[in-house]
Amino acid sequence: MDGTTDQMRGKTMESTTLTPEKDSSGLADAIDRILDKGLVINADITIDVGGVELLGIKIRAALASFETAAKYGLEFPFGTNLETAAWKEAMIEKEECPQCGKRVDREELLNIACPWCGWESAKAKKRKKVGVRAEVQ
Amino acid sequence: MVILRPEETGLKQLLERILDKGMTIDTSVRIDLGSLDFLGAKARIILASFKTAEKVGLDFPEGTNLNTPAWQNLTTNQPCPVCGMESRSKDLKEEGCPWCGWNYRPDEG
Repeated sequence: MDGTTDQMRGKTMESTTLTPEKDSSGLADAIDRILDKGLVINADITIDVGGVELLGIKIRAALASFETAAKYGLEFPFGTNLETAAWKEAMIEKEECPQCGKRVDREELLNIACPWCGWESAKAKKRKKVGVRAEVQ
Repeated sequence: MVILRPEETGLKQLLERILDKGMTIDTSVRIDLGSLDFLGAKARIILASFKTAEKVGLDFPEGTNLNTPAWQNLTTNQPCPVCGMESRSKDLKEEGCPWCGWNYRPDEG
């Protein structure tokens, strides 16, 4: 509606995204976890009146983040364009860096290092050691 | 080097438990009017994470593609007992954890 307030809102958002949010609250953490792991809710409900089954409800529901849903092949609502760059990105297997917490390509994190903070896995270190030894010889 | 998992809060731990173990709610309600069976309701509800749901064979919504690599990873991967990161069970047992270097046979490798 109002251009100036929108601008201000944009500014405040920018400044909040810049501060690292390491001390995430319990609830945010919990939601994060659910969306990440995915949640299956299955329910069968029947209602009968006077001994006659009147109504039956069968629910098969799955709750997950876009990334998890794409990974596990859940169906998206009709008309969703799955050819966008973001979907291709989501299909790459990701893992959270144990040091900085950024989600990065699993293979890269495991075999090379975290592209954000430089954390190296045991496998990458071992590889490097073997590589140096081979060079010396 | 040992990487410890960040301290877990109560709520997070509770949720993790529920998701991992799964939760079933099985109820039936009967309401009689006089001696007449008037109203009855039965509800069977199950809550679980994807991993647990696949393990115990829950139904997924229609149209779910159960052949993606992520489904296969659920059966082949296992978390490391020290850092909790997942890797192939075979590698974890034979070569140690590729993430933190944990190995239950420390003298080897």
